[in-house]
Amino acid sequence: MADLKIELNQPIPSVSKKITQESINQFESCGILDRQNIHNNPELAKQRLGFAHPLASGRMSVAFAAESLRKFFGPEVFNHTGTVNLKFLRPVKDGDTITVTGNVSHQQEVDKGTLVTVSLFCENQDRDRTAIGDGTAII
Amino acid sequence: MAGQNIKEFDYDKLVIGEELGSYEYVLTQEMLDNFRAAVDDPEASFPTLAVKHDATAFAMVYEDNTGGVNAGNEVEFFNPPIPGKTIRVTGRVADKYLRRDKPYMVIEATAIDEDGRLLEKLRTYQMKKPDEVGKKWQT
Repeated sequence: MADLKIELNQPIPSVSKKITQESINQFESCGILDRQNIHNNPELAKQRLGFAHPLASGRMSVAFAAESLRKFFGPEVFNHTGTVNLKFLRPVKDGDTITVTGNVSHQQEVDKGTLVTVSLFCENQDRDRTAIGDGTAII
Repeated sequence: MAGQNIKEFDYDKLVIGEELGSYEYVLTQEMLDNFRAAVDDPEASFPTLAVKHDATAFAMVYEDNTGGVNAGNEVEFFNPPIPGKTIRVTGRVADKYLRRDKPYMVIEATAIDEDGRLLEKLRTYQMKKPDEVGKKWQT
């Protein structure tokens, strides 16, 4: 990564993910508590949100953004200096396809190298933004 | 696990800085494999995202019948967790505030492994009036 030249507005690799209730449930099953929530229990989603269907955890989008950033910076950089900061704008549910895109928005010299900031965008299949934010890594 | 007494959640009584549950668990290869399958990323390195360290710490202290909607996440990655190692998590309430008359709380968690490696810091912004989101986004 030290040899990689990064320029402002440079795009990062996009990733697209098909969301299914199965993938949502599998994500929820990774926890250490056997919890029912608005992601894996339709009744709770209806009771608490008024939704007819469970929602995907926003943390799934964090994982997708992390993948995109890892592919851009490389795992040796991103897995040790990376950050993801997302604000969730719209619900994500079974049947959606989420695409993460981003571009380099800022670079700043810091003690350990150059802090590179990437603007992040998550969109669904209708091109509605489901999340925005930024990610960083030090190269 | 911490074994703290579970209290009924009352937003008004929540104190900024109060400690949430602290706990340990062993990250298994199965957890890593499940996470990678859930996010369709064979190289995903932080299954801890799906363990939801901060929310788990919160659930170990509070019985929350209101629920909440995740408005945002901030994650810092320091070192990928290693399957077979014990992960130690500490959680706290980082902030609470009202925005547009809606109550928010910010919970955070820090994870280190049994060798003292810092793995991840995670922060979640949760809106504690989930029916408001349901009204806005009901489909």
